[in-house]
Amino acid sequence: MALDKKQYDDLFPENEATGRQCIIRAVNVRKTYRAGKAETHALRGATLDIFDGEYLSIMGPSGSGKSTLFNMIGGLGKPTEGKVYIDQVDIAQLDPDELAWLRCRKIGYVFQSFNLINVMSCIENVMLPMSFAGLDSEEARDKAMYLLKLVGLDHRPLHKPSELSGGQQQRCAIARALANSPQIVLADEPTANLDSKTGAEMIELLATLKRSLGVTIIAATHDLKMLQTSDRILWIDDGRIVKSARPEEIDFASGHLH
Amino acid sequence: MDGNKATIQKQVKLPIGVALQVVGQGIRIRLGRSVVTLLGVVFGIAFLMSLLTGQAIRTGVGRETQLRDELDRRINFLTAKTGPLKDATLGVIQAGPLDETERRFVKLLAQNGLKSFNWVGNSAPEVEQITGGRIKAVETDYARVAGGAPALLVIGDGALPEADWDAMAGRTRERAIATMRDYKPVTVSATVVPLARELQPDELARITAEKRKDKVRTIWIVTLALLVTVIGISNAMLMSVTERFREIGTMKCLGAVSGFIRQMFFIESTLLGFAGSLAGVVLGIAFSIAAFSITYGPAAIWSSLDWPRLVLYAVMSVFAGVLLSVVAAIYPAGFASRMVPATALRSTV
Repeated sequence: MALDKKQYDDLFPENEATGRQCIIRAVNVRKTYRAGKAETHALRGATLDIFDGEYLSIMGPSGSGKSTLFNMIGGLGKPTEGKVYIDQVDIAQLDPDELAWLRCRKIGYVFQSFNLINVMSCIENVMLPMSFAGLDSEEARDKAMYLLKLVGLDHRPLHKPSELSGGQQQRCAIARALANSPQIVLADEPTANLDSKTGAEMIELLATLKRSLGVTIIAATHDLKMLQTSDRILWIDDGRIVKSARPEEIDFASGHLH
Repeated sequence: MDGNKATIQKQVKLPIGVALQVVGQGIRIRLGRSVVTLLGVVFGIAFLMSLLTGQAIRTGVGRETQLRDELDRRINFLTAKTGPLKDATLGVIQAGPLDETERRFVKLLAQNGLKSFNWVGNSAPEVEQITGGRIKAVETDYARVAGGAPALLVIGDGALPEADWDAMAGRTRERAIATMRDYKPVTVSATVVPLARELQPDELARITAEKRKDKVRTIWIVTLALLVTVIGISNAMLMSVTERFREIGTMKCLGAVSGFIRQMFFIESTLLGFAGSLAGVVLGIAFSIAAFSITYGPAAIWSSLDWPRLVLYAVMSVFAGVLLSVVAAIYPAGFASRMVPATALRSTV
């Protein structure tokens, strides 16, 4: 169904402050997991807009629905109720092959446990999404080397993930997330499995990528350091978004809002 | 509400070469795990093949024993009429081509000390070879063939030649004509000794029943073996897929379509199925021959084994192994490929 200008502007408003367009919109998203007769309401109606080029952090205790929200807005699962639009497309309307296309080109994923393919070398991991996007291997190799250089891992392209440190694995995963020049990078607790120094480096790297490449970064996190580099922070609790703030509104010493 | 849907395209499946490369790398890197999966196939097929080989050995040895008993019986029957054949010369009229039983009979006569044959018929050179040069004379004249022989032997597949059987038999010591097949030589004065035994109806019925029982037993054993093989192989394949749910989830996040995931597992299961089946066939045959050698002795097995049948069983087993591996991979591969990435990533197997 084509939208007229007004409907379109209503649905995807520009951010008043930055003039940027809404790239992800979740409207009243509910997600219920069923295990036998037991029902778990992981999300109880989350609504949010994420704007192009924004660095958004999602905070919340474990079990709050953070990862579920992350999966829903990343097109990794479908909501039980409500709508998710990624780059203005309602993902419920996409068939599996179209979803695969979307995940391949529009979104890059970074996971807490890196999720590199263990049987492939570092550069092959970075090249894999490019092969899925149909890039020929010469071109993919050049681009992968460029990305590995960007994340500071160009000296170990042929190492297997098991031969890399945690920080190096996460660098490799970030390079892989950027493989098809996505508009959005989704990072699910990217620093949780790293020591604080390496975690800080990762945060710095993501912030640099956001500035230089203009990608939208959405990170689920516990890490207070990550909040400082964010443009905006959302708090989620018991399946609902309970708070939204800018870093300057937070007293980092106490962890509370000013 | 699909304002921008036109910009979304369908993801294409990667060429099979890429899937092959990924699978090859996977097998190489996860060698330990691949070997475990492979062993599932190897043992399954080895079990099947050892049962089939055992069956082939039992049949072969059984047939050989039966043939030896039958040949001994014929020799006994012949000597009962002619007396000991040691150092005697037997007159033979060959009515047509010799079959295996007849060749063995001739050989056995030689082994029992028969001195020579007066032979009429075109298999003389072959018999010469089989018996180690015991042809005394190759005759064309029927009248001379029986001279001095204890009896006349008629052998070979064909119609009896026109001859004066009374006259021929009259020249033998015992005035006897021994026949290997159901010939009817026209004679009034000679004794015809049919060496081939006609089976009685109840005996025939018993053999038929025995054969049927054997067939049912074979079907039962093969079914059982296949069942064990199916369970072994499916289990191995199922494990190898389920423990890779995370990897599948990651691949889907990176843009892999379901078809690619399925293709990967089919290639892997075909490769593992083929390699495992080959190894299983060799192992099964070796094990069965070794085990039956203890019972029957290696010589009896080597001489009586039906090799073409064994090759057929081997080809069938490899085919079954590959087929079962692929079939066993269908369910887990289909399940994995349909998985929502979020679910696959949550998996902690």
